[in-house]
Amino acid sequence: MTMKPNQLNKNSLSILIAALMLVACSSGPQVRYGDSKAVETVNADYGSTDLQLIAEAMTRSLLQSKAISASKDAPIVTLAEVKNKTAEYIDTRVITDKIRTQLVKSGQVRFAVSVTEMPNQVEELKRQNQSGLYKNSTINKIGNMQGAQYRIEGSIASIVKNTKDVKDVFYVFNLNLINNGSGLIEWADEKEIRKTATR
Amino acid sequence: MRFNQTSFIISVSAAVLLMVGCSSTPKPNPLALQNPQAEPAPPQNLAITAKLLNEESKSIAVTDIYFKKEGKNLSYIEETRRQSQSSSGPIINSVITPKIIEVDADKADASALTGGPNSSAFPVKFTNLADPKSTESPANPAPLVASNEMPQTTSSTSNIQTLKKSGYEANQEYGELRYLANPIRGLLIKSGYKVVHAKSSPAAPAQGDEYFDIVRRIKAGDFGDADFVLYGVLSELSLTDNIFDIPGTLSSSQQVALDVVVDFNVIDTRTNQIMASFIGTGTGNEVKIDGKDNSFKHSMAKLMKLASISLAEDVQKQLTAQNFITAHPGNGPVEGRNFKRRLEDDESTLKIYGK
Repeated sequence: MTMKPNQLNKNSLSILIAALMLVACSSGPQVRYGDSKAVETVNADYGSTDLQLIAEAMTRSLLQSKAISASKDAPIVTLAEVKNKTAEYIDTRVITDKIRTQLVKSGQVRFAVSVTEMPNQVEELKRQNQSGLYKNSTINKIGNMQGAQYRIEGSIASIVKNTKDVKDVFYVFNLNLINNGSGLIEWADEKEIRKTATR
Repeated sequence: MRFNQTSFIISVSAAVLLMVGCSSTPKPNPLALQNPQAEPAPPQNLAITAKLLNEESKSIAVTDIYFKKEGKNLSYIEETRRQSQSSSGPIINSVITPKIIEVDADKADASALTGGPNSSAFPVKFTNLADPKSTESPANPAPLVASNEMPQTTSSTSNIQTLKKSGYEANQEYGELRYLANPIRGLLIKSGYKVVHAKSSPAAPAQGDEYFDIVRRIKAGDFGDADFVLYGVLSELSLTDNIFDIPGTLSSSQQVALDVVVDFNVIDTRTNQIMASFIGTGTGNEVKIDGKDNSFKHSMAKLMKLASISLAEDVQKQLTAQNFITAHPGNGPVEGRNFKRRLEDDESTLKIYGK
């Protein structure tokens, strides 16, 4: 039983295709953990490194401000809005939450619930005070929430310039600490970031 | 040279002797000479004992909170007189239909008397019915109007006269609110005062503003042997019910607040001097989340309690601010009173004032 050379070629080709298909099916996407603090340069859009840079710079500056550092007791602060004035979608709440976490960790600032957390706070108070289910001595009474002395608000803006081969993005993040009683801006700082992508 | 040494030694010894003599010579005590058994004079700085402090403690009487309520009764009276002739003589039937509405004095002044909104219900301008001029009969009474209301089959005739009279009657109510002052008494007892019972003061039938004459009551002995009388007159009592949206949520808060404003005076019962004078305020609050959706009904008893406690705290604060409590302390903190005593003792003692 001898094989013709033409038939042999056909058989080896089909085996090769089957083998390739098997290899392709078994390899799948590769997943690995990376360093969360590593510099991310996938493209020039707003990214994780920008978030970290902004939060770190703002926290350091805010903790050194007179309003915070010279205060006898840790002042009560609340988060207000950070406006996104860029063309991109940026969840500014992530920035302020990150700043808040770092400030709270420092122990120099206390935070009152912000407008975003108010629905849950109100619902909890309502549940405790008006459901009639709780022991009176353990109820957190309505009217004991603490008002914040300061609020943090700001904005992020960008200037974007494109050529065929170059994209230049300039971000300015601005943050203010405002005294709720007097309306005075007690502290303000900004962080500038420039990113250039070339082909 | 030898002479000089000798004279120096002699003079020094004489000086030393003189100094010793001056310091050691006892002064004769005239009292001791007169009466050898007499006790020595007490020290100028008295030892401060609990007994002494108790004797010094001041007593205060706290009256119930006086109030004066002014009101005006708007009255509108229609009188229909029917005079009929019968065989036995004239018969007069009278039908009076009074209509009385009690309104606040301010509202009456602002509307009805000036021909305001109330005048549509009462077409005549209101006058004070207590004023004799407004109620006296007119010089020429309106003639009786002949009427044919009586059945024609009878021979008798009838006359109908309609009189319309409108006006207001001012009334003033005086009294005492008994529940507001107890927390004040409690706080004064806590501060160490002896709180003396004050006799209640019922208002007379035709009571006037002499009801507030505290000196008359002091003289009448309504406050026993109290050193001071704290008395208050209610200025305003208001109940407000407001609904506010809670920003950032879909909820609202209903806030019912009872506010009391009382004019207080502290009188020294011996000199009638006003020792402190201030306006005390108290607020009782009840807040319900989404109260409007659940048709929340507030508890007046709870509001009253909260308002009276808040008023008492304000009174204590004001009395302290006007130095009444520090200048005339009760039997309270002994340290403070010792300090006061030390400041008041005689001039010859050493005083050290520190910052």
